[in-house]
Parts: sequence; structure tokens; C-alpha cells
Amino acid sequence: MKKILQLTLGIVTSVGGFLEIGSVTTAAQAGARFGYQLLWVILLGTVCLIFLIEMAGRLAAVSKHTIVDAMRERFGFPFFFFVLIGMVIVAFLVLVAELGGIAFALQILTGIRFPWWALPVSLLVWLLMWKGTFSLIENGASLLGLVTISFVVAAFKLGPDWSSVGASLVPTLPDSDKANYGFIAVSILGASISPYLMYFYSSGAIEDKWDRSYIPMNRIIAGSGMTFGGFLSMAVLVAAALALRPKGLQVDTFPQAALLMTTALPRWGFYLFALSMLFACFGAALEISLAIAYFFAQGFGWNWSEDLQPSQDARFAFVYTIIILLAAVPLMLRVDPIKVTMVSMALTSATLPLAIVPFLFLMNDPLYLGKHRNGWISNTVVAIVILLSFVLAVISIPLQIIGG
Amino acid sequence: MHLIRDVLDKQLVDRQDCNMGRASGLIVHLGESTQPRLTHVVIGGPALWMRIHPSLGKLSTKLARLWGPKRKEPVKIPWSRVKTVGKDLKLDVDAKESGALDWELWIARHIIERIPGGGSEEEE
Amino acid sequence: MDINIELLLGTKVCDANGEKVGRIEEFRVEDDGNSCRIEAYLIGTSALIQRLSAWTLVRPIQRALRSRKLYSVFEVRWQDMDLSDPKQPRLRISGKDLRHAR
Repeated sequence: MKKILQLTLGIVTSVGGFLEIGSVTTAAQAGARFGYQLLWVILLGTVCLIFLIEMAGRLAAVSKHTIVDAMRERFGFPFFFFVLIGMVIVAFLVLVAELGGIAFALQILTGIRFPWWALPVSLLVWLLMWKGTFSLIENGASLLGLVTISFVVAAFKLGPDWSSVGASLVPTLPDSDKANYGFIAVSILGASISPYLMYFYSSGAIEDKWDRSYIPMNRIIAGSGMTFGGFLSMAVLVAAALALRPKGLQVDTFPQAALLMTTALPRWGFYLFALSMLFACFGAALEISLAIAYFFAQGFGWNWSEDLQPSQDARFAFVYTIIILLAAVPLMLRVDPIKVTMVSMALTSATLPLAIVPFLFLMNDPLYLGKHRNGWISNTVVAIVILLSFVLAVISIPLQIIGG
Repeated sequence: MHLIRDVLDKQLVDRQDCNMGRASGLIVHLGESTQPRLTHVVIGGPALWMRIHPSLGKLSTKLARLWGPKRKEPVKIPWSRVKTVGKDLKLDVDAKESGALDWELWIARHIIERIPGGGSEEEE
Repeated sequence: MDINIELLLGTKVCDANGEKVGRIEEFRVEDDGNSCRIEAYLIGTSALIQRLSAWTLVRPIQRALRSRKLYSVFEVRWQDMDLSDPKQPRLRISGKDLRHAR
């Protein structure tokens, strides 16, 4: 029974990956601009993430090491430090975007502009990490994140042509505006295959005290959790394709994305959209803050756990305190969270190889995994993800400039 | 046993399984004609930053003397105190007494415990 | 003289004739409970692969390329290494006398 409840780790991880401001914005843009054509990209991202998350959980369950532990030990401090710099910069920008998403949702609900919400929101995120435990964050964010199922309801209510939806799961190219198509495709992959998800999941497995007996359950958790997130992201795209594209509407601002819900659910759609973004971005903000703090603590060998009092893991608590408070500053200075989202997704794609390449080595290390090392299927998937990540790394910034 | 694969950068834990940091450096004594001998494991500090660039090591030494716990010397644990080498390096020391947690305790006392809800050492 | 041995990692090694042999990638030690002594220095790209536990990945590529070169791991006994200048380690023997590690 306890193992089944661990599904919440999968759900909260997928919420942070698929339903945060970046994913919702890009899925909505994809639907508004290109109809169903980019559904295959979400499917690709989901499949890649299922494999990567399963591996992260397996590494933790078998070796009792997180990815960061193993990376530091196997590749040494200079390499770890290089990855730390890249990861912190990108994750910090994503955190700014998520806090902005929460602030935007509150702006929609209250009319008070988002810069005023920046500090209260970041303090609330901080307070939950300061006083909460890992299971409270894990279960709370998962339960609250379930309100995002309203995107699925909206998509169904708009009555899509399911055969067209199914056909779009096969890659196609548009007749025109290929640069913008490419940019949105790269953004979707950058928003979904985020390294901080892997770091969070493997740390969560250690926090939940997984052992080898969790290996089968880990597959179910990774598979169902990421499928849940991917499915919801597809629902956003389908809803946008039906609600926004016929009217020629683009998603350039956050409030415009609300139209994909209000068209399907005129009475409740507005509030459901705001609450969905509020809870999804809140879960993502918690996840990213923890991922950054975990990265520092595990890399440097400090005490760490969300279940400890802050004074018992002072450096870990200090890192997430500083990060969360600093993330509020750009928002207080009225930096547009949507713009930050776009930049952070391009940078995530650009830095993906740094996270995935060492992972390939670690998942084949007999000292960490013994007989639970990657088989040829998992290695092939990781190799494809690495190839994809290098392609994304090269094209993401130019596409941001040309097609963004 | 291999030093880089099995010892360097490994997690160090004390008698109570408390995390002490990682093995950032390994001091070896080179004699004129005697076999080189591993004498100490170094935790954190300049040894870590020297591995990226010597100037970072020197900067780290200067900063360590100016603020925080103001340690003059990095934390060195004699190799004789290493009990087992496995997933972690288990040491026959107390983390607090070794000095490995100086930064942790300094941040706890000067920052964390001053924030409501941060807890305190006495509550442990 | 006391040195930080991790700073030797990746340092180029020349033999007694001044010819480059490779880079130090690992240190094999023996710990008998009383002391931990360096037995040998492992030099060469394959020593790096061994340190990263990457043979599972590299062997299939090596077999496909039918290359034997990747197996070159030289083991230098501690007596044959001159570390009087740690920044420029030198062998006390010729590179031709080096033996391959198992």
C-alpha cells in the first residue's frame, strides 16, 4: 500500500515537468499556431522523460545514491562544478518563471498586478519548505495539482476530431513558418525534458527511503506519472487548437492562455485556469527550489533532507532560502515571466547534454547498479536523448532569435 | 583499491552516520626512497577549489580567514581514522569535533536559528 | 614532502628519455589497516575509462572498431616514478620498459 502511495512522487514530478508555466505556455502557443501538428513533440518528450525518470529512480533505489552524489563521485569536482553553474543558472530562471506564474494567476483572480505578488508568493513557497516535510510537499502538491485535470475536461468539451488528434502523433512539418514551428518544438522539449526533474525524483526516492524492492514500483510510478503529465500537456494543446486557432489568437500574454479554458467552460473556466496555474506553478516552484538545494547539498556532501529541521541541515536550508528570495527580485522589478520562461526553456535545451551524458555513464556503472544496469533498450533511448540534446543545444539559441 | 575511484570525492560520514562533507583532497607523504603513503583526507576548503584553478584555491584560503568560522587551516582527517571504504567513507570521528561541520554550525547559529521556526541545536 | 595527490590527476608523464608516456589517471593503493601505500600509478586513456567505470559502454565500440589501442593502461610501480617535481612527474625508466596493467 505504501508503495502505491508513492505514485504521488511521480505525479508531483510530472506536474513540475509538464504543467508548469513553460509547458502550458508553449503547448498553448503550439495549439494556437499549428493546431494538432506538434502533439508528436509532447509524445516524444513524454517517452524520453519516462525512461530518464525511471533510471533516476532505479539508480537511487539500488545504489542509495542520488544522481548528483554519483556524478560528483564518478566525474570529480571540476566537472560537477561546471554542471552546477549551468544547472543553477537555468533552474533559477525557471524558478523566476514559476513564481511569476503563481503571481500571474493571483493577478487574474484578484486584479492586483503580479509584481505586488512576487514577494508574498516567494515567502509562501519558502515557508512551506521551511516548515513542511517532504511527504507534505510531495502529497500536497500532487493533490492540488489534480485540479489541472480541468484542462482535459476542457479539451473533451470542445469536441476534437480524435482521428486528427491521433494522426498528429506522427511527426509532420508545416507548410509555412518552419522557424517558428521549430522554435516551439524545441521549447516544448526544453520545457518537458528538464534535468531538475531527474535530480528531484532521485532525491525524492532517497527521501522516501526506497530500496531494491521499489524497482518494479518505480517503473509504474515513472510511467504513470509522466504519462499523466504528458496527457495533460496534450490536453492544453488540443484545447488551444480548438479554442484559439479558429479565432486567429496567439498566446503572447499569460491572460490570453486563459481563453482556452473559458471557451470550453464559460462559467468556471476562468477560475479553473487560474487555480490550475496557481497550483501547478506552486508545485513546480517547490520542486525546482528543492532540486537546486539538493544539488548543492549532495554535491558538497552536506546534511540534507526536507524532513530535518532547518538548523539540522543549515547549509541546505540556507541555499533554498537565498534562491527563493532572490527569485522574487526580477518579478518585483516587473520582468515579464513569459519572457523569462522562453529564455529559460532555450537555455534548458542548450545545457541538456551536461546532464544527460554523465547519466549514460552512471546507468552503466556496475559499482552503482550491479545487475540492475541499463539494458540495450534503455541505453538506446539515452543515446537518442543525448543526440537530441546536442541538436537542441545547437539550434535552441538561434531558433530563439529567428523563430521566437 | 583505487584512490580516485574509491576514495576521492566520496561522502564522509562520522560515527553517528552524520554527513561530514566529501573527500576533497588526499595528502600523500613522499619520502626520498620510501613508498608514498596516504596520510590525510582533506574536507572542503582550498583543496577543492585548487582542483579547478590554483588562483581559486588561494582566494578560498583568503576568504576562509575573513568570514564565517574563520578557519586558518582546512579540515584534515588522518587516514588511520577511516574505518571502512565502501559506498561512503566511514570515519571513526565525531563530525562536530573534527571541525568538518564548522560552516554548518556557523550558518545554523548566525542565520538559520535567528529565523522563526529554524529550530536550534538544543532541540535535537 | 607532502602533496595533494589529486592535483597530479591528468598530469603528463615523461619517461627517463624525456618522451611523453601519457597522463596519470589513477593510483592503485594497498591498505593493510596500518597504512595506505601507493603501489602503482595508472597512466593512459584506458585508465580514465576504467576510473569512470565506462568499459560497458566503450567495449562494444572498441570491438566494432577492432581497435586494441584502447586497452593501453600502463602501470608504473611507485619505485619507477620520480615525483621530486610534482608538476612534472618523470619515470625513472624508459617508456618501452613499462608494463600493461591487467
